[in-house]
Amino acid sequence: MSDPRDYNDAESEEEDDFNPAPADMSDDDAKGDPEADEDDDDHHRQTTKGSSPAHKRPAAADHDEDEDEDDEDDAANNGDGGGDDDEDEDEEEEDEEDEIQGHRRKRRRDKRNAFFDIEAEVDDEDEAEDDEEAEAENEGFIEQEELGDFGDAGRLESDRRHRELDLQRDRMNHEDLQKEAESFVRKYGHRRHARGMGDTTIVPQRLLLPSVDDPSIWGVRCKEGKEREVVYSITKRIHERMGTKDELGITAAFERGGPNSIYKGIVYIEAYRQTDILQALDGMLNVYPRSKIILVDIKEMPDLLRVQKTPTLEPGAWVRLKRPMKYAGDLAQVQDITENGLDVKVRFIPRLDYGVRDDTISGNTADGKRKRPIMGPRPPQKLFSEVEARKRNPRILTGNPQTNAWSFGNDYFEGGFQVKDIKIQHLTVKDVNPSLEEVTRFTSGGEDGVENIDLKSLAASLKDSNATTTYLPNDVVEVYEGEQKGVVGKATQVQADIVTLQVTEGELVGQTIDVPTKGLRKRFQLGDHVKVIGGSRYRDELGMVVKISEDRVTLLTDQTNTEITVFSKDLREASDIAGQGSLGQYSLLDLVQLDPTTVGCIVKVDRESLVVLDQNGDTRQVMPSQIANKLPKRKLAVAADRTGSEIRPDDVVKEYGGMGRQGKIVHIHRSYVFCHTHQTTENAGIFVSRVSSVSTISAKGGRINAASSGPDLDSMNPAKKLNPTGRNDMPPPRQVFGRDKLIGQTVTIRKGGWKGLLGRVKDTTDTHARVELHTKSKVISVPKTDLMVRDSVSGREIKNYESRRPGGPNGTPARPQERAAPDWNSGSRTPVVTSSARTPAWKTPSGGIGGRTPAWGRGGDGGRTPAWADGSRTVNPYDGSRTAYGSGGRTPAWSSGGSKTPAHDYGSKTPAYGGSNGDSWGSKTPYGASAATPGASGSDSWGYTPGASGSSNAYDAPTPGASMLGAPTPGALNAPTPGAYNAPTPGAPTPGGGWQSGWGTESAPTPAAAAPTPAASGSGYYGAPTPGAYAADTPGPRYTDDD
Amino acid sequence: MFFLYNLERRVTLHPSYFGKNMHELVTGKLLKDVEGTCTGSYYIISIMDTFDISEGRILPGSGLAEFTVGYRAVVWRPFKGETVDAVVVSVNQHGFFAEAGPLRIFVSTHLIPQDIKWDPNATPPQFTNNEDTTIEVGTHVRIKILGTRAEVGELWAIGSIKEDYLGYAPFLP
Repeated sequence: MSDPRDYNDAESEEEDDFNPAPADMSDDDAKGDPEADEDDDDHHRQTTKGSSPAHKRPAAADHDEDEDEDDEDDAANNGDGGGDDDEDEDEEEEDEEDEIQGHRRKRRRDKRNAFFDIEAEVDDEDEAEDDEEAEAENEGFIEQEELGDFGDAGRLESDRRHRELDLQRDRMNHEDLQKEAESFVRKYGHRRHARGMGDTTIVPQRLLLPSVDDPSIWGVRCKEGKEREVVYSITKRIHERMGTKDELGITAAFERGGPNSIYKGIVYIEAYRQTDILQALDGMLNVYPRSKIILVDIKEMPDLLRVQKTPTLEPGAWVRLKRPMKYAGDLAQVQDITENGLDVKVRFIPRLDYGVRDDTISGNTADGKRKRPIMGPRPPQKLFSEVEARKRNPRILTGNPQTNAWSFGNDYFEGGFQVKDIKIQHLTVKDVNPSLEEVTRFTSGGEDGVENIDLKSLAASLKDSNATTTYLPNDVVEVYEGEQKGVVGKATQVQADIVTLQVTEGELVGQTIDVPTKGLRKRFQLGDHVKVIGGSRYRDELGMVVKISEDRVTLLTDQTNTEITVFSKDLREASDIAGQGSLGQYSLLDLVQLDPTTVGCIVKVDRESLVVLDQNGDTRQVMPSQIANKLPKRKLAVAADRTGSEIRPDDVVKEYGGMGRQGKIVHIHRSYVFCHTHQTTENAGIFVSRVSSVSTISAKGGRINAASSGPDLDSMNPAKKLNPTGRNDMPPPRQVFGRDKLIGQTVTIRKGGWKGLLGRVKDTTDTHARVELHTKSKVISVPKTDLMVRDSVSGREIKNYESRRPGGPNGTPARPQERAAPDWNSGSRTPVVTSSARTPAWKTPSGGIGGRTPAWGRGGDGGRTPAWADGSRTVNPYDGSRTAYGSGGRTPAWSSGGSKTPAHDYGSKTPAYGGSNGDSWGSKTPYGASAATPGASGSDSWGYTPGASGSSNAYDAPTPGASMLGAPTPGALNAPTPGAYNAPTPGAPTPGGGWQSGWGTESAPTPAAAAPTPAASGSGYYGAPTPGAYAADTPGPRYTDDD
Repeated sequence: MFFLYNLERRVTLHPSYFGKNMHELVTGKLLKDVEGTCTGSYYIISIMDTFDISEGRILPGSGLAEFTVGYRAVVWRPFKGETVDAVVVSVNQHGFFAEAGPLRIFVSTHLIPQDIKWDPNATPPQFTNNEDTTIEVGTHVRIKILGTRAEVGELWAIGSIKEDYLGYAPFLP
């Protein structure tokens, strides 16, 4: 033993000394590295001249030899393998060597490296150095040896080589040992490791699958919902019996219960034998091993243990209730989750009737069975009210007003919300989709009344439900989660939940990437015009974005100018042309009939209901079904404001008194105007007012109280161009000819600050006169209407002054001005003043005007009456009964315009006028007067009136005839027909025509205004039921069309 | 921004107007029809002149003559991001409305600097920071337009004063 030991020692010493060089050389040799060989050769040549032939032999042979010797060596090693110390020492040495040369050897071991020139070269330097060092060290020896003879040198050489070989073998041996050790470590050490960590990265999973040798799994029935308890008690029992003789034979027990699990009601137990299970479960509660036990197929075992991600319920999360039935579908908020994870404490808004129906519910029927609770319409959601509860059922109410916690019967309430423990299976946890509206109800119940919705948690619960978010191509989206966070792009393609983006910003510009919708949100910018599309209650609202914070977007709605906040996922870019909100046939600002006496203007359109501002200024929410009908928009509707000026839709008016609101007329309905203002956003800016309490601010298109907004029929009518004299397009004012006679006249001023002063007219315009005052050397400008012409000598008033119109009945000087201003159309539409001017009687002297078909003239008061009033009313079913009232009310209103009653029209005005003019019509005065009278009173015979006019006018012949035959019918029919159509015809100007139509119209209003008359005659001849209504009917549409 | 813009329009004329001064009538009608209107994205402020009045074509059926008129008009188009001076016309707690010529602009509270707060108790109600800025009806403000919307016959914008040099502008020319 000592021998090898010595040898080893010696060698180890040697190794210590010469470690680098021999190792290198042996390496070189072992690898048969030609270059290394050459190196060796080189320095051997240097040192040993006439190098040995042995050295020249091919490396391969060398190698072979090595191997041969290797074997021997191995054997030797095995022999002294018992020497553990040696081995250890060697190993240590080897380790050292490793440390020094580790990387090199690694490389060298690969024979192929020989062919890599570069590597070899790089390493050559090191090697060379090493070799040189070794050489330097070795030098002494070799030189000394060299001193001997060649044979000795050859012997030395071979000796050296043998030693090298020995070393090499030794080292390789050590290597082998090391490898072996490593493999042991790998085998066993690893096993230890695996046991500890359960590391499965190396052992393939399929090898872990259960086999027939493993215990089987049985499914045992148990009580539903008690699965976990059973498992707990099994665990307990295992612990109890551990180490006793009746130790349980089962190896595992688990359950896959849960509210929505299909494995519920079963406990799974792993054991080798079924009898073990029976023993283990013997006498255990809630589990039924005696019933059929299911053996789980080996293949299915892994599935049984597959982990499904269960939705986690956390306090604050939103859920929906399934039970109790009364609350099915209601939103609830999780407050707490019980330990076993089966029950959840939720709070929700109660649906209480405070025991109203309790009697029927708790009462027992005769046969002793409990009556089924009647599921009537469930009470609405409403926060718990102590007052109500106390009122209805004080006995079962207990609680603390301070904390606002009450128990009412079996229910418990906190802060108005009902709080209840509910099984998870009775809750809908997924796809809850709470709407903002619902959630708001939960928050608004806060004591401070301040809405503090935690939109973030809401957003989270919304996000969980991946549904509803829809992306469409061209949506601008932003990635807010994941690796691509912050990337903004335009969606180009959407497939299931993968959106393909064309990146538009940042470094990735132009690239196309796919992103799951989960991490996406839509992106908007301030000022974008967007539409709400999602499930929020603001659906279909349009608006402009005013604020963006995270994924919450605040927008200003188009319709109501209010701000709403929604999630960006519920928005999408709206087209520029905003469709107004509409619901069915009803859209914003429509005028609708709510009931026979009420109309309203739609001021808000919700998803299912409308908000209507009615004529009384009240808003009410109505369903479309509650609306009787939609009133068509009448663009040419017209009314008179408080000053008697005409107002039409789109005119700007201001309330007189009241709130003084100013707005643009949207609708005119009878005596109500609906106006729109930008001043307020309330009711979409709509307000309602009475016609008589508004005054015109500006008329549309600068129309001064006149011109129609429709096509200018007047100027379009070539007929009117033919006979300019008769036309009133621009009736040539008389004063146009020659010098105004007023100039130079002495006048007094009737109105204003200069009232009463005397002066002389220096100059005139159409409307104004410049008056030089006598009292003061001053020339002032005064409206001609305010002047009174006096005789310069006597000072007497000259009434029929020439420059004035052949005056109104009372010489109203308002004439000239009105004369100038209104054109033909306006005349017809401002009956107030012109009506008198257009009566046929009136017409004669002032041919031009009278020629203008009294029908139109009358149209102002008479003609207009049925037309406007009845026209609009016939549409309304309830109006039939109202006709008399409607037109009755309107007629005087119109004709009186300037407070002139019909009596005044015919009785006082006409005769007065006729009288003053002294023309042939004067003779008619009594008739006129009486005509009016019966008309008004309706007590006189119908025939009388036509008779009166008929006697004076041949043209009237048909009228009485008509009236005799069918008084109301032709009258009514004739009235508008010639009136309306004769008007422009050149024939119209003839007094006869004028009178005829005038008469016609006159008869029209008569029945309308005083329905009794035609009614009487009508029924007298024909028994026509309501000629008034009929008469009203007929012209109605005609005029409506006209409108 | 104001532009001088060449436009074209078809004007119809009633036969009764056919005569020697037809072109004047056409021009007159054009002025009446077009000036001061809003066509989608801009307002036609004023018509400078008409440079090309085509020959009239009688429309079958109606007898009206149709002229195609080319004209040059000053138009005003509000742009996103444009800064305009405006006069406040109404103030409420959600913000205020201002008018820049024909354009109505709404400035929401979100787009008003934080320190300018709604004061409902003032008469008239106003937005104020209790220092140098008070925004009430009639105040001149400088607004940056954030978005515009076209409605039938009018434009409508929202604006912001939440930036430097925007907002209360006491000395507008």
